[in-house]
This record gives sequence, C-alpha cells and structure tokens, in this order.
Amino acid sequence: MTQSLEPRIAAYVAGRMPNATGVAVDSLSRISGGASRETYRFRLSWSEDGRLHERKMILRRDPPASLIDTERRIEFEAYRAFHGSSVPVPEMLWLEEGSGPLDHPFFIAEEIAGYQAGPALLWAEPYLGTHEALAERKWTILGEIAKADPVALGLDKVMEPIAPADCWKRELGYWENVLDEDEAEPLPIIRAAIRWLRANPPPPPARLSVVHGDYRTGNFLFDTEGGIHGILDWEMAHLGDPLEDLGWSLNPVWSFGRELAGGLVPEAQAIAIWERASGLRADPAALKWWTLFNCVKGQAIWISSARAFISGGNKEPIMVYPPWALQNAQDRATLKVMGRL
Amino acid sequence: MKPDVPMVLVEMAGLVARNAAPDVPAADRASALGLTAALMGFAAQAWDGAAHNLVQENRAIRALLGLQGSDEDLRLSVLSQENARLRQALIDRHAEVEGKDPAMEAAIWAELVASTERRMVAGSPA
Repeated sequence: MTQSLEPRIAAYVAGRMPNATGVAVDSLSRISGGASRETYRFRLSWSEDGRLHERKMILRRDPPASLIDTERRIEFEAYRAFHGSSVPVPEMLWLEEGSGPLDHPFFIAEEIAGYQAGPALLWAEPYLGTHEALAERKWTILGEIAKADPVALGLDKVMEPIAPADCWKRELGYWENVLDEDEAEPLPIIRAAIRWLRANPPPPPARLSVVHGDYRTGNFLFDTEGGIHGILDWEMAHLGDPLEDLGWSLNPVWSFGRELAGGLVPEAQAIAIWERASGLRADPAALKWWTLFNCVKGQAIWISSARAFISGGNKEPIMVYPPWALQNAQDRATLKVMGRL
Repeated sequence: MKPDVPMVLVEMAGLVARNAAPDVPAADRASALGLTAALMGFAAQAWDGAAHNLVQENRAIRALLGLQGSDEDLRLSVLSQENARLRQALIDRHAEVEGKDPAMEAAIWAELVASTERRMVAGSPA
C-alpha cells in the first residue's frame, strides 16, 4: 500500500538534500492510469536556511512488468533536456536506477499542478471552445520538438544513434518483434499492414529529430484557455524521423471517436500547424507510412499489455484496459488508414 | 478479447475482495475499483455474443479458404483455439494472394472488415 512508501521516499530524498532537515513526505496518492510506470503524487516538506519549504512532487516507479519496456534514464534525460525550453516539461530532480530504495527503479520530478490531462474532459465544458487554441499549441510544440537539435540538447549521448535511412527499419522491426513475442492470437489486419509497410518504405527524413514516441491528446497538461503546461510520458523517446511523432498524433485511436486529429481539429489543419512550427514538410506518402506504422506500434503496445497480464508479470487491471478497450479500435484505425474502411 | 474474460474476472474478484479491507487508502481503492468497474462493463458486453461471434467468424473463414472443421464444442476456450488456427491460415493465404489474385484478396479484406465489425466494442475510440 502507498502509505508505507512515504517514509522510504523521505529517507531517499533526505540523502540527496544535505542542507535540509526534517524532510517529510505526506499526501501520497497513486494517479490512475500509468500502465508502463506507477505514478504517485506527494507533498515534500523540509527545513532549510531557517525556513520551512513545501513542494508538490511526482514519483514515477517501474512496475514489476510493464506495458512498455523502456530505459528510464532516457526518459529522465529527455525531460531534463527540454526543461526551460519552448517545450514545457516538469523539472526532473532525482533518478534512481537501483532497486534498493523503493523496490524498483524510479525518478522524482516536480508536479505541475492545477491542470488536467484526461482527454474525456475535453469533450465537455469548459473545454469545448478551446479545441482550436489547444490544437495550435499541441502541434506547435510537436513542431518545436521536431526542430530541436538532439546534439545541442545532449540527447545524442543517451539515445541510440540511427542513420536517417534506417529509421523506419529499426522502428518497424522493433515493434514487429514485440508482436511476434507477445501476441495472444493471430492478427491478420496488423500482419497485412506490416507487409504493406515493408513493401512501401518511406524516404529518409530530411533531418534526425528527437521523437517523443507517445505524443497524443492525453499526454499533456492543459488549461481552460487552450494552453499547454507540460508534455508528459517521454518513456518511448528516441532519435528518428520527426514524421513518426506526427503520425502517432494522427493515429485514429487518438481521435476518441470524433473523426478529428487528436479529437480536436481536421487532420490537414494539424499538419499545417506542425509544418509551420517545425519548418519541415510532411510528405503525404511518407506521413501515411508513419501513420500506418503507428497503428502497428499501437497494436503492439496493447498486445504486450495483455501478455504481461496473461503471463502473470503484472495483474493490475490497468494492464487489461488497453487490450480490451483499444485492440479492436486499433484494427479499425488500421483499416481506415489503409483505405479499407 | 485477450486476456480471456474468465482469467480477468478471477483476478478482479480477488482485487475487489482485497479492497473491501478497511485499511486500504481511499485513493488506492478508487483507482483499483474504478478500473475494475470499467473492465466488468467490457466483460458484460462480450458475454452474450462471444460464442456466436466466434462461430460466425470460424464459419466465414472456413468458407473463404475451403477448410474443414466444426464448432460443436461451444466452450469459448475451444472456439478461440479453432479461431486462432483459422486466423493464422487466413494470414498465410492473404500473404500468398497479394498482388496475384485480386478477387481472393478483396474477399479476404471483406472478411477482415466484417470480423472487425463483429468484434467491435461499444464506445470504441476509432
């Protein structure tokens, strides 16, 4: 239970704040969702320089078995690289890669409090009038990520290098392998999509970019004015083709049944915003390739979640929700992108 | 649906029982039970049509590929096993005919669309 974590978190943080006394953790609660990491919020308090301090924090801890197997250091460094830039992210504070302090690796970050992330809120007041502004911010920020220089950010030192011509092969190969290992039943639509992707490869990207890997409605903190205050969930970040992120944001499962990109605006509008912000052109054929690829990737993620539950590695209900809620939707999305539905 | 519904319901039953204990923090209980409720909703949707849909799909694929077989044992585990065999055969045949047999290819795509409609979950986001 979460209560027993409080003193252990406090002890860990106290060891990293040598000038602080009376370090305490309270109000620890788990945030729903988070099938790849357990996410908690808590309040940290301490005394320093004769004053009492308080700060709201987030703990992201690896679960016993994850929906997505990723290196938490890459996620941590991606957040850290963009902190203070035009891409809003929370400040990263401590990364622990050992299992001693809290049983599993974790990191601690500031909480950007007072905003929402849940997509379902967007389809009701007071958010209905914010969709245009939110879309403008959403795809502008994605364009900023595409435009950022990975070398200048220092991310070439932590992310696996890749030649531009190999981006699609590496990504497709990785997720096809996940499907091979984890599928609980044959997937004829996804296998047909993979054959098409291999037969129709995209051109190399004009430039290598940081790819967020999960940039979608639901992974940013928004306000009631269409503002975005934090881009979250960088756990699949890597170097690659910037169209990969744009294609993920256009995956029809993220339209939430609204037939709009991200549930917000027509697809052409989202692409135009991204092109303006990134300074790049989204070649339609290449973008179709990356959108379809992201249907395969999405299905691989939902399938691997089911596998983690079936194999007993993680019996949390959150592991069942993605395959039950999204597997059929992802097949439908794949058919749509392939022009079959 | 994978994981299979019975496997999930057994696990959910244990989860609900554990959350009946008085010392479970409210936030933990809310998180666990909220998701469990959503999953029970999906299971309820699947319950009535599960065997019917599997039999429909098995018959359709056999007819399409000219395969033999039957669905006399109506346990979902048995129907699913046969369904997996047939869907793998469909994948193999689809790969064989692509670019070579447009009529067969079109028929396979039509069945894939029909299968996706059969398996559709209410509230599907796409």
